[in-house]
Amino acid sequence: MIQGLVQLFIFQALGELVSKFALPFIPGPVLGLVLLLAFLSVRGHVPASIDLVGGSILQHLGLLFIPASVGVVLYLPVLKANAWAISAALVISVLATVAVTAGLLKVLAKKEGT
Amino acid sequence: MSNEFQTHLPPISEIWVYLSGSPLLALVLTLSAYLLGLTLYERSQRNPLANPVLIAVVVVTLSISVLDMPYAKYFEGAQFVHFLLGTATVSLAIPIYKGFASLKGRMGVLLLSLVAGGVTSALTAVGVARWLGVDESLVRGLVAKSVTAPIAMGIAERVQASPTLTAIFAVSTGILGAVLGRYVLDALRVTAWWQRGFALGVAAHGIGTSRAFSVHPEAGAYASLGMGLHGIVGAVVIPYAVAWWF
Repeated sequence: MIQGLVQLFIFQALGELVSKFALPFIPGPVLGLVLLLAFLSVRGHVPASIDLVGGSILQHLGLLFIPASVGVVLYLPVLKANAWAISAALVISVLATVAVTAGLLKVLAKKEGT
Repeated sequence: MSNEFQTHLPPISEIWVYLSGSPLLALVLTLSAYLLGLTLYERSQRNPLANPVLIAVVVVTLSISVLDMPYAKYFEGAQFVHFLLGTATVSLAIPIYKGFASLKGRMGVLLLSLVAGGVTSALTAVGVARWLGVDESLVRGLVAKSVTAPIAMGIAERVQASPTLTAIFAVSTGILGAVLGRYVLDALRVTAWWQRGFALGVAAHGIGTSRAFSVHPEAGAYASLGMGLHGIVGAVVIPYAVAWWF
Protein backbone atom coordinates (compact mmCIF):
# COMPACT_ATOMS: atom_id res chain seq x y z
CA MET A 1 0.00 0.00 0.00
CA ILE A 2 2.77 2.42 0.98
CA GLN A 3 4.56 1.58 -2.28
CA GLY A 4 1.57 2.69 -4.34
CA LEU A 5 1.17 5.87 -2.30
CA VAL A 6 4.84 6.77 -2.77
CA GLN A 7 4.59 6.19 -6.53
CA LEU A 8 1.49 8.40 -6.80
CA PHE A 9 3.18 11.15 -4.73
CA ILE A 10 6.24 10.96 -6.99
CA PHE A 11 4.12 11.48 -10.11
CA GLN A 12 2.28 14.30 -8.35
CA ALA A 13 5.60 15.94 -7.43
CA LEU A 14 6.96 15.52 -10.98
CA GLY A 15 3.76 17.12 -12.29
CA GLU A 16 4.18 20.07 -9.92
CA LEU A 17 7.80 20.50 -11.06
CA VAL A 18 6.89 20.45 -14.76
CA SER A 19 4.04 22.88 -14.08
CA LYS A 20 6.28 25.25 -12.13
CA PHE A 21 9.18 25.33 -14.56
CA ALA A 22 7.81 24.45 -18.00
CA LEU A 23 4.01 24.63 -18.37
CA PRO A 24 2.69 27.04 -15.72
CA PHE A 25 -0.77 27.28 -17.30
CA ILE A 26 -1.56 23.60 -16.65
CA PRO A 27 -2.21 22.51 -13.04
CA GLY A 28 0.57 20.26 -11.66
CA PRO A 29 -1.70 17.33 -10.74
CA VAL A 30 -3.04 17.19 -14.32
CA LEU A 31 0.54 16.95 -15.62
CA GLY A 32 1.12 14.25 -13.01
CA LEU A 33 -1.90 12.43 -14.45
CA VAL A 34 -0.49 12.66 -17.98
CA LEU A 35 2.94 11.43 -16.80
CA LEU A 36 1.37 8.49 -14.96
CA LEU A 37 -0.73 7.71 -18.05
CA ALA A 38 2.47 7.65 -20.15
CA PHE A 39 4.16 5.42 -17.55
CA LEU A 40 1.21 2.98 -17.57
CA SER A 41 1.23 2.86 -21.37
CA VAL A 42 4.95 2.04 -21.39
CA ARG A 43 4.49 -0.63 -18.70
CA GLY A 44 1.50 -2.08 -20.55
CA HIS A 45 -0.48 -2.72 -17.35
CA VAL A 46 -1.43 -1.04 -14.07
CA PRO A 47 0.95 -2.21 -11.28
CA ALA A 48 -1.08 -3.76 -8.43
CA SER A 49 0.25 -1.31 -5.81
CA ILE A 50 -0.83 1.77 -7.81
CA ASP A 51 -4.17 0.16 -8.68
CA LEU A 52 -4.87 -0.55 -4.99
CA VAL A 53 -4.07 2.92 -3.63
CA GLY A 54 -5.34 4.94 -6.61
CA GLY A 55 -8.49 2.86 -6.73
CA SER A 56 -9.29 3.44 -3.07
CA ILE A 57 -8.63 7.19 -3.33
CA LEU A 58 -10.90 7.44 -6.39
CA GLN A 59 -13.60 5.41 -4.69
CA HIS A 60 -13.92 8.19 -2.12
CA LEU A 61 -13.15 11.09 -4.44
CA GLY A 62 -16.23 12.93 -3.13
CA LEU A 63 -14.78 13.11 0.40
CA LEU A 64 -11.84 15.14 -0.87
CA PHE A 65 -13.85 18.09 -2.11
CA ILE A 66 -15.89 18.53 1.06
CA PRO A 67 -13.44 20.98 2.74
CA ALA A 68 -13.46 23.36 -0.25
CA SER A 69 -17.21 22.97 -0.82
CA VAL A 70 -18.00 23.94 2.79
CA GLY A 71 -16.64 27.36 1.80
CA VAL A 72 -20.10 27.80 0.32
CA VAL A 73 -20.97 29.44 3.69
CA LEU A 74 -19.00 32.48 2.52
CA TYR A 75 -21.10 32.76 -0.64
CA LEU A 76 -24.57 32.05 0.75
CA PRO A 77 -25.91 35.63 0.43
CA VAL A 78 -24.83 36.08 -3.21
CA LEU A 79 -25.94 32.51 -4.10
CA LYS A 80 -29.37 33.09 -2.52
CA ALA A 81 -29.82 36.31 -4.46
CA ASN A 82 -29.05 34.47 -7.73
CA ALA A 83 -30.51 31.07 -6.86
CA TRP A 84 -33.08 30.75 -9.65
CA ALA A 85 -30.87 32.08 -12.41
CA ILE A 86 -27.96 29.83 -11.36
CA SER A 87 -30.20 26.77 -11.20
CA ALA A 88 -31.61 27.55 -14.64
CA ALA A 89 -28.10 27.96 -16.06
CA LEU A 90 -26.96 24.65 -14.54
CA VAL A 91 -30.01 22.67 -15.72
CA ILE A 92 -30.04 24.08 -19.27
CA SER A 93 -26.29 23.64 -19.60
CA VAL A 94 -26.21 20.00 -18.47
CA LEU A 95 -29.14 19.06 -20.75
CA ALA A 96 -27.46 20.78 -23.70
CA THR A 97 -24.10 19.14 -22.95
CA VAL A 98 -25.57 15.62 -22.82
CA ALA A 99 -27.57 16.31 -25.99
CA VAL A 100 -24.65 17.70 -28.00
CA THR A 101 -22.13 15.05 -26.89
CA ALA A 102 -24.45 12.07 -27.40
CA GLY A 103 -26.07 13.48 -30.55
CA LEU A 104 -22.76 14.14 -32.26
CA LEU A 105 -21.37 10.78 -31.13
CA LYS A 106 -24.39 9.00 -32.63
CA VAL A 107 -24.14 10.82 -35.96
CA LEU A 108 -20.36 10.40 -36.27
CA ALA A 109 -20.43 6.73 -35.26
CA LYS A 110 -23.11 6.01 -37.87
CA LYS A 111 -21.02 7.72 -40.55
CA GLU A 112 -17.91 5.75 -39.64
CA GLY A 113 -19.91 2.58 -39.19
CA THR A 114 -18.27 1.68 -35.86
CA MET B 1 -18.49 12.89 45.42
CA SER B 2 -19.48 15.57 42.96
CA ASN B 3 -16.74 17.82 44.34
CA GLU B 4 -14.08 15.25 43.66
CA PHE B 5 -15.41 14.79 40.14
CA GLN B 6 -15.11 18.49 39.43
CA THR B 7 -11.49 18.68 40.51
CA HIS B 8 -10.52 15.92 38.09
CA LEU B 9 -12.44 17.10 35.07
CA PRO B 10 -11.40 20.42 33.52
CA PRO B 11 -14.31 22.76 32.78
CA ILE B 12 -16.04 22.00 29.49
CA SER B 13 -14.97 25.32 27.98
CA GLU B 14 -11.34 24.36 28.49
CA ILE B 15 -11.82 21.01 26.69
CA TRP B 16 -13.55 22.91 23.95
CA VAL B 17 -10.78 25.46 23.51
CA TYR B 18 -8.24 22.63 23.36
CA LEU B 19 -10.16 20.59 20.79
CA SER B 20 -11.02 23.47 18.48
CA GLY B 21 -7.35 24.40 18.37
CA SER B 22 -6.35 21.01 16.97
CA PRO B 23 -7.09 19.77 13.44
CA LEU B 24 -8.88 16.73 14.89
CA LEU B 25 -12.26 18.37 15.29
CA ALA B 26 -12.45 19.48 11.64
CA LEU B 27 -11.17 16.08 10.47
CA VAL B 28 -13.64 14.08 12.56
CA LEU B 29 -16.46 16.37 11.47
CA THR B 30 -15.58 15.99 7.78
CA LEU B 31 -15.13 12.22 7.88
CA SER B 32 -18.22 11.48 9.95
CA ALA B 33 -20.40 13.77 7.83
CA TYR B 34 -19.15 11.88 4.74
CA LEU B 35 -19.87 8.51 6.40
CA LEU B 36 -23.39 9.70 7.22
CA GLY B 37 -23.79 10.83 3.60
CA LEU B 38 -22.56 7.45 2.31
CA THR B 39 -24.95 5.56 4.60
CA LEU B 40 -27.95 7.61 3.48
CA TYR B 41 -26.87 7.19 -0.17
CA GLU B 42 -26.74 3.39 0.21
CA ARG B 43 -30.08 3.38 2.07
CA SER B 44 -31.68 5.27 -0.83
CA GLN B 45 -30.53 2.55 -3.28
CA ARG B 46 -27.90 4.96 -4.62
CA ASN B 47 -30.35 7.62 -5.68
CA PRO B 48 -28.25 10.43 -7.21
CA LEU B 49 -30.36 13.00 -5.34
CA ALA B 50 -29.05 11.58 -2.03
CA ASN B 51 -25.51 12.53 -3.07
CA PRO B 52 -23.08 11.82 -0.18
CA VAL B 53 -21.00 14.95 -0.83
CA LEU B 54 -24.07 17.18 -0.86
CA ILE B 55 -25.31 15.65 2.42
CA ALA B 56 -21.87 15.98 4.02
CA VAL B 57 -21.49 19.63 2.94
CA VAL B 58 -24.90 20.49 4.44
CA VAL B 59 -24.06 18.65 7.69
CA VAL B 60 -20.60 20.26 8.06
CA THR B 61 -21.91 23.72 7.14
CA LEU B 62 -24.68 23.48 9.76
CA SER B 63 -22.27 22.06 12.38
CA ILE B 64 -19.67 24.79 12.03
CA SER B 65 -22.29 27.51 12.18
CA VAL B 66 -23.81 25.95 15.34
CA LEU B 67 -20.30 25.65 16.82
CA ASP B 68 -19.60 29.23 15.75
CA MET B 69 -16.42 28.06 14.03
CA PRO B 70 -15.15 30.36 11.26
CA TYR B 71 -14.61 28.69 7.87
CA ALA B 72 -10.89 29.53 7.87
CA LYS B 73 -10.52 27.69 11.20
CA TYR B 74 -12.39 24.66 9.85
CA PHE B 75 -10.30 24.56 6.69
CA GLU B 76 -7.07 24.73 8.69
CA GLY B 77 -7.95 21.30 10.10
CA ALA B 78 -9.66 19.86 7.03
CA GLN B 79 -6.78 20.78 4.71
CA PHE B 80 -5.26 17.33 5.27
CA VAL B 81 -8.21 15.87 3.38
CA HIS B 82 -8.09 18.67 0.80
CA PHE B 83 -4.41 17.95 0.09
CA LEU B 84 -5.23 14.52 -1.35
CA LEU B 85 -7.16 16.14 -4.25
CA GLY B 86 -3.92 16.40 -6.20
CA THR B 87 -3.10 12.74 -5.58
CA ALA B 88 -6.64 11.81 -6.64
CA THR B 89 -6.19 13.77 -9.86
CA VAL B 90 -3.01 11.82 -10.65
CA SER B 91 -4.89 8.57 -9.90
CA LEU B 92 -7.42 9.41 -12.63
CA ALA B 93 -4.78 8.06 -15.03
CA ILE B 94 -5.84 4.54 -13.94
CA PRO B 95 -9.47 4.59 -15.21
CA ILE B 96 -8.38 6.50 -18.34
CA TYR B 97 -5.72 3.88 -19.10
CA LYS B 98 -8.22 1.06 -18.56
CA GLY B 99 -10.76 2.92 -20.73
CA PHE B 100 -8.27 3.08 -23.61
CA ALA B 101 -8.31 -0.73 -23.71
CA SER B 102 -11.97 -0.79 -24.76
CA LEU B 103 -11.66 1.92 -27.40
CA LYS B 104 -11.70 -0.14 -30.61
CA GLY B 105 -10.58 2.75 -32.83
CA ARG B 106 -13.24 5.18 -31.67
CA MET B 107 -10.78 7.78 -30.42
CA GLY B 108 -11.36 10.40 -33.13
CA VAL B 109 -15.13 10.26 -32.81
CA LEU B 110 -14.91 10.46 -29.02
CA LEU B 111 -12.53 13.44 -29.01
CA LEU B 112 -14.69 15.44 -31.44
CA SER B 113 -17.81 14.85 -29.38
CA LEU B 114 -15.94 15.63 -26.18
CA VAL B 115 -14.74 19.00 -27.48
CA ALA B 116 -18.24 19.85 -28.75
CA GLY B 117 -19.73 18.84 -25.40
CA GLY B 118 -17.17 20.78 -23.35
CA VAL B 119 -17.65 23.95 -25.38
CA THR B 120 -21.45 23.58 -25.12
CA SER B 121 -21.18 23.17 -21.36
CA ALA B 122 -19.20 26.35 -20.79
CA LEU B 123 -20.99 28.48 -23.42
CA THR B 124 -24.54 27.61 -22.35
CA ALA B 125 -23.83 27.95 -18.61
CA VAL B 126 -22.11 31.32 -18.91
CA GLY B 127 -24.54 32.50 -21.62
CA VAL B 128 -27.71 31.66 -19.70
CA ALA B 129 -26.27 32.99 -16.43
CA ARG B 130 -25.36 36.34 -17.99
CA TRP B 131 -28.66 36.55 -19.84
CA LEU B 132 -30.51 36.08 -16.53
CA GLY B 133 -28.34 38.72 -14.89
CA VAL B 134 -26.35 36.49 -12.53
CA ASP B 135 -23.77 38.35 -10.47
CA GLU B 136 -20.48 38.44 -12.42
CA SER B 137 -18.58 37.14 -9.35
CA LEU B 138 -20.46 33.84 -9.75
CA VAL B 139 -20.25 33.52 -13.55
CA ARG B 140 -16.56 32.55 -13.67
CA GLY B 141 -17.27 29.65 -11.33
CA LEU B 142 -19.48 28.12 -14.05
CA VAL B 143 -16.81 27.78 -16.73
CA ALA B 144 -15.28 24.52 -15.51
CA LYS B 145 -18.35 23.00 -13.87
CA SER B 146 -18.60 19.96 -16.17
CA VAL B 147 -14.96 19.04 -15.47
CA THR B 148 -14.34 16.58 -12.63
CA ALA B 149 -14.16 18.57 -9.37
CA PRO B 150 -10.47 18.04 -8.45
CA ILE B 151 -9.31 19.25 -11.87
CA ALA B 152 -12.02 21.94 -12.05
CA MET B 153 -10.71 23.44 -8.81
CA GLY B 154 -7.18 23.54 -10.20
CA ILE B 155 -8.49 25.28 -13.32
CA ALA B 156 -10.48 27.72 -11.14
CA GLU B 157 -7.32 28.88 -9.39
CA ARG B 158 -5.76 29.64 -12.77
CA VAL B 159 -8.69 31.68 -14.12
CA GLN B 160 -9.24 33.69 -10.93
CA ALA B 161 -12.49 31.88 -10.19
CA SER B 162 -13.42 30.68 -6.73
CA PRO B 163 -12.49 26.98 -6.24
CA THR B 164 -15.36 26.72 -3.75
CA LEU B 165 -17.99 27.97 -6.21
CA THR B 166 -16.50 25.77 -8.92
CA ALA B 167 -16.72 22.72 -6.64
CA ILE B 168 -20.32 23.52 -5.68
CA PHE B 169 -21.34 24.02 -9.32
CA ALA B 170 -19.49 20.86 -10.36
CA VAL B 171 -21.25 18.75 -7.73
CA SER B 172 -24.65 20.25 -8.65
CA THR B 173 -23.96 19.60 -12.34
CA GLY B 174 -22.99 16.01 -11.59
CA ILE B 175 -26.23 15.40 -9.68
CA LEU B 176 -28.38 17.08 -12.36
CA GLY B 177 -26.66 15.12 -15.13
CA ALA B 178 -27.05 11.82 -13.29
CA VAL B 179 -30.77 12.48 -12.68
CA LEU B 180 -31.79 14.11 -15.99
CA GLY B 181 -29.27 12.68 -18.47
CA ARG B 182 -31.22 9.58 -19.43
CA TYR B 183 -34.30 11.58 -20.46
CA VAL B 184 -32.22 13.50 -22.99
CA LEU B 185 -30.57 10.29 -24.21
CA ASP B 186 -33.96 8.58 -24.59
CA ALA B 187 -35.45 11.59 -26.39
CA LEU B 188 -32.54 11.53 -28.88
CA ARG B 189 -32.88 7.72 -29.20
CA VAL B 190 -29.24 7.18 -28.30
CA THR B 191 -29.22 3.47 -27.48
CA ALA B 192 -25.58 2.29 -27.63
CA TRP B 193 -24.21 1.91 -24.08
CA TRP B 194 -20.84 3.38 -24.98
CA GLN B 195 -22.46 6.53 -26.42
CA ARG B 196 -24.80 6.97 -23.45
CA GLY B 197 -21.98 6.45 -20.95
CA PHE B 198 -19.51 8.75 -22.68
CA ALA B 199 -22.05 11.60 -22.82
CA LEU B 200 -22.79 11.21 -19.10
CA GLY B 201 -19.08 11.24 -18.23
CA VAL B 202 -18.43 14.37 -20.33
CA ALA B 203 -21.44 16.28 -18.95
CA ALA B 204 -21.61 15.03 -15.36
CA HIS B 205 -18.06 13.75 -14.55
CA GLY B 206 -17.71 11.48 -11.48
CA ILE B 207 -21.34 11.51 -10.37
CA GLY B 208 -22.55 10.79 -13.89
CA THR B 209 -19.90 8.07 -14.16
CA SER B 210 -21.07 6.22 -11.07
CA ARG B 211 -24.62 6.49 -12.41
CA ALA B 212 -23.43 4.99 -15.73
CA PHE B 213 -21.64 2.13 -13.90
CA SER B 214 -24.84 1.31 -12.02
CA VAL B 215 -26.71 0.96 -15.34
CA HIS B 216 -24.18 -0.96 -17.48
CA PRO B 217 -20.42 -1.73 -17.20
CA GLU B 218 -19.68 -0.61 -20.78
CA ALA B 219 -21.48 2.68 -20.13
CA GLY B 220 -19.40 3.07 -16.96
CA ALA B 221 -16.06 2.43 -18.68
CA TYR B 222 -16.84 5.00 -21.39
CA ALA B 223 -18.13 7.46 -18.79
CA SER B 224 -14.80 7.31 -16.89
CA LEU B 225 -13.01 7.85 -20.17
CA GLY B 226 -15.25 10.85 -20.97
CA MET B 227 -14.68 12.30 -17.51
CA GLY B 228 -10.89 11.78 -17.66
CA LEU B 229 -10.44 13.15 -21.19
CA HIS B 230 -12.64 16.16 -20.37
CA GLY B 231 -10.38 16.76 -17.35
CA ILE B 232 -7.17 16.74 -19.41
CA VAL B 233 -8.53 18.71 -22.38
CA GLY B 234 -10.34 21.16 -20.06
CA ALA B 235 -7.20 21.84 -18.01
CA VAL B 236 -5.29 22.74 -21.18
CA VAL B 237 -7.99 24.66 -23.08
CA ILE B 238 -10.16 26.43 -20.47
CA PRO B 239 -7.52 28.87 -19.12
CA TYR B 240 -6.85 30.09 -22.70
CA ALA B 241 -10.54 30.30 -23.52
CA VAL B 242 -11.22 32.35 -20.39
CA ALA B 243 -8.31 34.72 -21.05
CA TRP B 244 -9.64 35.31 -24.55
CA TRP B 245 -13.32 35.48 -23.68
CA PHE B 246 -13.60 37.40 -20.38
